[in-house]
Amino acid sequence: MSVDIQLAPVIHFEPGQSDFASAGGGSLAAAALRAGSLIAFVAILVVFSLTAPYFLSVGNFGNVLGQSAISGVLAIGLTIVLIAGGSNVVTGGIDLSLAANMGLSAAVYATVAQFGYGDATAVAAALLTGGLIGLVNAIAVVGAGIVPLLATLAVMNIVAGLELVLTQNTVIPASTPLLTALSSSGPLGIPALAYVLLVFTLIAAAIVQYTPAGLRLYAVGEFPDAARAAGLPVRRLVAGVFIASGLCGGFAGILSVSNLSGSTTGSGEMLLPVVVTALLGSVFSRRLVPTVVGTLLSTLFVGFLVNGFQLLNISSVLVSGVQGLLILLVVSATTLLRRPEA
Amino acid sequence: MAPQTSSIGTPTLPRLLLGAVVDNALVLALVAVFAVFSIATPTFPTLANLQSILVNNFTLLAIVAVAMTFAVSVGGIDLSVGTAVDFASFAFVSLVLSGQPVAIAALAGLGAGAAVGAFNALLISGIGISPFLATLGTLFIGRSIQQLLTNGGNPVYLPPSGVPEAFRFLARGAIAGIPVPLVIAAVIVAGATLILTRARFGRVALAIGIQPSVARYSGITARAHVAVAFILVGLIAAVAGLILSATVTVYIPSSGNAFLLNAIGATFIGTTLSRLGRPNIPGTVLGVLLLGIVANGLLLTGLNFYWQQVGTGLLIFAVLALSFINRRKATA
Repeated sequence: MSVDIQLAPVIHFEPGQSDFASAGGGSLAAAALRAGSLIAFVAILVVFSLTAPYFLSVGNFGNVLGQSAISGVLAIGLTIVLIAGGSNVVTGGIDLSLAANMGLSAAVYATVAQFGYGDATAVAAALLTGGLIGLVNAIAVVGAGIVPLLATLAVMNIVAGLELVLTQNTVIPASTPLLTALSSSGPLGIPALAYVLLVFTLIAAAIVQYTPAGLRLYAVGEFPDAARAAGLPVRRLVAGVFIASGLCGGFAGILSVSNLSGSTTGSGEMLLPVVVTALLGSVFSRRLVPTVVGTLLSTLFVGFLVNGFQLLNISSVLVSGVQGLLILLVVSATTLLRRPEA
Repeated sequence: MAPQTSSIGTPTLPRLLLGAVVDNALVLALVAVFAVFSIATPTFPTLANLQSILVNNFTLLAIVAVAMTFAVSVGGIDLSVGTAVDFASFAFVSLVLSGQPVAIAALAGLGAGAAVGAFNALLISGIGISPFLATLGTLFIGRSIQQLLTNGGNPVYLPPSGVPEAFRFLARGAIAGIPVPLVIAAVIVAGATLILTRARFGRVALAIGIQPSVARYSGITARAHVAVAFILVGLIAAVAGLILSATVTVYIPSSGNAFLLNAIGATFIGTTLSRLGRPNIPGTVLGVLLLGIVANGLLLTGLNFYWQQVGTGLLIFAVLALSFINRRKATA
């Protein structure tokens, strides 16, 4: 594959500046950036707390967590793919089918529930749908050797089409005990979805960050040849990652049914925001690599921003613009910090 | 993917055949899809339908995909092609609506598209942000700007009486019997092919895309070339914006994003299925044709509209899978 789209170090313009030469300055810069992004996060919280009434309250923080649950689960799924696929967006890890996956899984859940089956069956059907989509991605990428960008793009189209076939482009209402529980409030008056997001993040972080399998994912993503030479089952790990991300799509589908009391169309709109969130997540990690907790932080960062805007009555039109500026600011800072003499 | 000097010793006949199949995977896929639809629906291979494919399923996407090919050739990607399409369309439609001459409005539209490209160029060549992230940022900011300009996303309509003749000509006119949009697309395809294969700029751009470090050590001014490539992307995408708004006589905010994923698909199908695995305009055009033929053919089979999308996805998936599997066999 000759088309190389680097995510992090970009096109190097400075002659003779190797990455090793600036390693010392680089880690300092990384620390500065990480601190900087955390400071920015805190600054946003402080500014909104001072300016927006009700912002600084347990209930509101819970709301933000709850509203971020769906995009958070999707972004964490994508993060796992980014970890094992490496930072190269085209040849490496990307899963464009995630948002469509959520839509189809939600439709499957709602349809199964409408046929009168219980929650257990519906949950199993939704997760099975998500897992199958992940399996197709895995077979396409690992088995057939299609680059992930193209493979998941094609799968995205198929899945989005299947969702339309199943729903005939209409809303399928659903109401089950599980959905009622998910859309209710838990302890402290915080939405149940908020707890779901926190528990999901904990489990995902535990697996990805603290198990040998998780460490291997980083090895595969950062240096596949070395990982292969060290005897790691690279193909199986990459396949597993796509299946895991598919399952996340299925899980997000269930959450979205509870959030909207049914399956709705237009899940594809979530794709690019989720990609942004997952990519931004790496600035919240120590080594500027994708991590589960970093992605949670970037999800909440965007969530608080949207929430603060709403409370301040700033037009929602500006949200996507601010998101865009944010990416550019964070990434410019990363890039400029990485080449101290420039 | 580097060209494979296939095997040691004299290649056997099946190996040669397999190599030929891999080298021409895209053309073979097109022929196969064409044959299948010709058998399935008698109306497919008629002259009228083939012309309709070119006009309805080909021109706009071809122009946007050619634009995308320039971004990919310098080793980048442009997620904001749709933004350039939209900005051009907005400037064009609003200026025509305010009574400006069509030529001036069209120039302003091209300028608006080029401005989106210049913004990307600034981020990528000036600051050094990776193209994927830079253009993702542009896409989001562009969406906000369009909503601000249109009071939250209201379309800008041209009343049927207020459509100037030149405006109509851009979409519905014909030169020597060939529809104007098709002529424009052909000129852009030919020009882009020349630039990428014959001009010094194109070769340098491809060299940067293939091996940035070598380009750097050869003293190539990568910054400038990458910047020009991204401005070209915006400019070419703007042409699609002009034709689009002349066709539908309305500007709808963020409608250009509909082209994004198909343009990426066509460009990368053309890149990965070509002999050298490099971005190339003929490959991109064949990729667009493949998508167009599949869309049109499925429509003619009378399949339920929702199933058509599934069918398109499945066919593209099958083409990709077959060619990647064959390539793997040929290079094994």
